[in-house]
Amino acid sequence: MTAACVRIESVTKRFSGHTAVNRLSMEIPGGGIFGLLGPNGAGKSTTIRLIMGILEPDEGKIVLFDSPRNSRALSQRIGYLPEERGLYKKMKVLDHLIFLGETKGIGRADARKRAQAWLERLGVSDWAQKKVEDLSKGMQQKVQFAGALLHEPELVILDEPFSGLDPVNAQVMKDIVVAIAAEGRTVLFSTHVMEQAERMCDRIAIIARGEMVVNGTVAQVKEDFGGRHVALGFTHDKARAANILADRALIARVDDYGASAELQMADGADPEQLLAALVREGVGLRRFEVVEPSLHAIFIAKVGAEAATAHAGVAA
Amino acid sequence: MKKIIAVVRREFVERVRTKAFVISTVLLPVFMVAMVLLPALMMSGGDRTSRVALVDASTTNLGQRVSQALGSEKIGKGADAKSRYTVQVFPATGDDLAKVRDGLIAETGFSSSKKKDGWNGVLVLTDETLATGKLAYYGGNVGSLEAMSKLQRVVSSALTGVRLAKSGVDTALLKEAMKPADMDTTKVTDGKQTGQSGTESYLIAYFMGFILYIAILIYGQQTMTSVIEEKTSRIMEVLTSSLTPFQMLLGKVLGVGLAGLAQMGIWGGTALVLSSQRLPLAGMFGMSADAAQSFPIPSMPPGLLVVFLLYFALGFMLYGALYAAIGAMCNTIQETQQYAIFVTVFIIVGFFAVFALIKDPTGPLGVTMSYVPFFAPFTMPVRWSLTSVPPMELVLSLTLMVLALLACVWLAARIYRTGILMYGKKPSWGELWRWIRA
Repeated sequence: MTAACVRIESVTKRFSGHTAVNRLSMEIPGGGIFGLLGPNGAGKSTTIRLIMGILEPDEGKIVLFDSPRNSRALSQRIGYLPEERGLYKKMKVLDHLIFLGETKGIGRADARKRAQAWLERLGVSDWAQKKVEDLSKGMQQKVQFAGALLHEPELVILDEPFSGLDPVNAQVMKDIVVAIAAEGRTVLFSTHVMEQAERMCDRIAIIARGEMVVNGTVAQVKEDFGGRHVALGFTHDKARAANILADRALIARVDDYGASAELQMADGADPEQLLAALVREGVGLRRFEVVEPSLHAIFIAKVGAEAATAHAGVAA
Repeated sequence: MKKIIAVVRREFVERVRTKAFVISTVLLPVFMVAMVLLPALMMSGGDRTSRVALVDASTTNLGQRVSQALGSEKIGKGADAKSRYTVQVFPATGDDLAKVRDGLIAETGFSSSKKKDGWNGVLVLTDETLATGKLAYYGGNVGSLEAMSKLQRVVSSALTGVRLAKSGVDTALLKEAMKPADMDTTKVTDGKQTGQSGTESYLIAYFMGFILYIAILIYGQQTMTSVIEEKTSRIMEVLTSSLTPFQMLLGKVLGVGLAGLAQMGIWGGTALVLSSQRLPLAGMFGMSADAAQSFPIPSMPPGLLVVFLLYFALGFMLYGALYAAIGAMCNTIQETQQYAIFVTVFIIVGFFAVFALIKDPTGPLGVTMSYVPFFAPFTMPVRWSLTSVPPMELVLSLTLMVLALLACVWLAARIYRTGILMYGKKPSWGELWRWIRA
């Protein structure tokens, strides 16, 4: 599983007037869960569409499974859940899944069996003979999810798979994604929910404005980000901490959540100094912990400024 | 290939399952039955025997002669045909004419619910009738032009007979002399008779063009709508990752086309059964066989049927592909209108070429048009039905159509591939050209 599942080599994609992906290079190794992170408009979906061959890169190239063939020729090995979900509204759920299976080259009878198994697994088998339009949005998403996985692809590409799902359904999906990775298959998913990525992904890539910001295993990314980080939980008199938190000799960066905060210590500053200072001022503390930087903190630190200026209206 | 079949099946099954499809498939044959039966029913209304009171105020026993002529008129042919008129002669003189006439009129023209009609009409003959041809008819059915002209025809030929007999012409000779001309027309192909009459050829040609015209307009638009629908529902993003645009569009064009052909097949089959079974059918509805026959359904020779079906299917799908290309360019139905008009123009030109062709089937216009793939589905079956077309020309024209169909789908696929992720932006003609070349 060392061979690269997807290799993106210096790919650029321009749309009229702006560059969605700019000289992006990355490698997604086989096996495990790969998170593609980035703010809205960073180029996540464009990157995924480029991988899927829905868009052609203006420059550079994308190689899948070290094969010279494009993703459509290899589509039997790839499952894809697009960001904007779409199904034939008038079709019956089961028929729809069978059709999706057939477009992946599965025989009709086999596709039917698999579709039924998936509906069972996702707990929507009662809806098999209902029209897609009669289903709730969350259920439609589950159906499409099943459609992407029906042919047991080696590489599963999910664009924002958890958006718009309630916690229970999100949990179901998460379990399936983890199970796929456990089978040695590869999952690539995009998200802007950092906590999720942090918990699930083996490797991540953060992109912003179409360019690579950070890339590697989660542990590596955290290590490279470096610095010492402290998580604080306040109980009372938080206002008294204001001066301490503003002291740049002590603290390099503050990520304030109100009742809690994540801090990056300044170079050469000690967490003990900080604790002593906080106690001296009489700040009520619930938590004081030296921690690894969270992906969220890394994300904010790396792309915060850019994210602030990127517009959500630009197609991601 | 398997994938194309999957797309074809989906398009076909989903279309055939819709209520609209089922309803229209069932309703048209019902409508056709009505079309066959209604005119027959209506005509059979005029084919009841009508009772005529003949008031004869002439001095030359004219009433007797007219009565004979009317009495020998039959409804339909054959030995058991009913008389068209039952006539009773009421002699009258110049003085009591008005009285006799008014008495009879008083028993005429009742609708059956109130009182039984004594007479359907009163015919009044005087001496003047023989001299100037003037006579009067009073009746409830004077509004029926057909009944009146028939009556007038019979009376006038009776009058002619009386006048000629008066001048000493022999009645047998007279009958001989007054036989009308009766011309049968038969189409000849390759020196052989085809058994169709000229009117039938014309009718078939016209009818075929019309059916194709309607079918293309209905189903072509459906292909277009379904392409647009795929875009707005974003399903195509999943599909494009596993299917090539060519597979998607060819599958779509074929699938929608097959659904249309299936419907046409059901309709055509019904029409055939109806036309072959119309006599028993008419009997079921209590009509005379003759009345049913008065609505002719032209029969189609098998050769023509095959040619027609080939061109129909190909033309249908060719235009379907054109509509698919338009669908690929646009994002909403409203947008498609301005492009769809070009296709409609093609169809209309093709359709109206049929009329030019009927006049001059072997002219250069007709021959040229039967090679142009967009017009051939209209013009070639007409040429075939009106004249004889060399097999080589037919093969060439069909080959051109298949090529054009594939080219159209290919073109649509090019546009689709590039246009697929362009939402809310209409391409300029220049961009369109670039997409096709891309």
